[in-house]
Amino acid sequence: MARYRPYFTLYLGSMDKQYDLVIVGSGPAGATVGRFAAQAGLKVLIIDKRQELGAPIQCSGAVSRHALEEVGITPNAEFIQEPIYGFGIYNQIGDCTTIDYRQLKGDEYGPEKGKKPLGYVVDRRRFDRYLMTMAERAGAIVWLKTEGLGYAATGNGHCDVQMRRFNEFLTIRTRILVGADGLQSQVGKWAGLRTHIKITELASCLQYVVDQVETEGLLEIITGHEWAPGGYAWVFPKGHGYAEIGLGVIPTMTQQNAQWHLKKFMEQSFFQKRFKNARILEIQGGGVPLASPLRVQFADNLILVGDAARHVNPITGGGIHTALSGGYIAASFLIDFLQEDRDASAKNMEGYQEQWLAALGNKMWKLHGIKTKIFHNQNIVERDQQLYATMSDYFSPHSEYKKI
Amino acid sequence: MTKKIPVLFSVGWNACINCGACVAICPQEAGFISPFDTIAVDRPCDIACMLCEAICPVTTITHELAPLKTN
Repeated sequence: MARYRPYFTLYLGSMDKQYDLVIVGSGPAGATVGRFAAQAGLKVLIIDKRQELGAPIQCSGAVSRHALEEVGITPNAEFIQEPIYGFGIYNQIGDCTTIDYRQLKGDEYGPEKGKKPLGYVVDRRRFDRYLMTMAERAGAIVWLKTEGLGYAATGNGHCDVQMRRFNEFLTIRTRILVGADGLQSQVGKWAGLRTHIKITELASCLQYVVDQVETEGLLEIITGHEWAPGGYAWVFPKGHGYAEIGLGVIPTMTQQNAQWHLKKFMEQSFFQKRFKNARILEIQGGGVPLASPLRVQFADNLILVGDAARHVNPITGGGIHTALSGGYIAASFLIDFLQEDRDASAKNMEGYQEQWLAALGNKMWKLHGIKTKIFHNQNIVERDQQLYATMSDYFSPHSEYKKI
Repeated sequence: MTKKIPVLFSVGWNACINCGACVAICPQEAGFISPFDTIAVDRPCDIACMLCEAICPVTTITHELAPLKTN
């Protein structure tokens, strides 16, 4: 006889105990793996411990249009806060390199009908929910308020994932476990992967969403040790006349915290007049890795994607594009892999990392080399010049890294 | 090699913005997390590397020496 289950459990949908893929974390990486895998007919469960995806916000939300379109996401008003048309890169004293595609390629980029934006600032709460919905509509099951607790191989090509869902302990069997649980990845630690990040490579970031600060459809990036030691400051349009002002600092390069530096940037920089009437509407923060990708992103029955695998641009700290395209690469690999019915030993999972390195990772390693060289320079004046030049070059239309 | 003395962390929840940076930098094994996605505050940290305090953008993590274990 079937055991009685509380009504709400039934209401929460499927209670199947066996899947092809269990994905821990429904951010851009996890939801993208789930969507493509489900579309290909795999049985997919995505779990996320949060009650609302994307929150608390730990991201500025900038993403290129190309990054969305290459993984089949049509830009939608549900998640777009403001279209972006280019960049303004500043040095310490306010000299600016403007890269405005409305001027560079005016027939292609612009707000007018028939023209396109270069990218968007998205609302991560709405964006992550939108991607989760896409995965669900493709056939993936999503459980919120469900926390992964651990996993163990069962010896027959599967593994058991322990989880807790609304206080109920569950064990779900899967062929592959995908860790998409962000920079704080616990899944990677379960597998004993070396996920530890150096303090010199994790920027401590704080940003304010503000009213009364004008923007012009550009992502503005302000370099200089004076304002953001080890990182940079930014001013991004946020829609509805709002902006976000933030910065990231490397803790070993300053005696002060990010909050202190942000106050100083707003009150003392060449933007002090522009920021004079700024009113804070939201306060957000996060750790942003300006680091290399993980050297090993796979284990028995397991792969990591997105921030969990440190698929993050080491120069900009941008992680949405890399999560989306990494998610697509992971899904493509897993679809083929599971069709072939090979055993999911670490050795056989390595193919995922190889595909990822060829498509994205090798360039990220190269960027990491450039970044490391800049910040190893102990001469602050020279270092500031190098960072300004590198950032300006990185965002130029001719940059070889444009699509990372 | 320096001998680390275990510490007990405390998070000032009023200033905490739930950014997760402390967990991201923490070299402890899996599970050294509070229910609020900060580093654990209910058990001693025997690594005591203090990286979580250094990374916190609002400096709201503090510590005291952990009480000595009694058998």
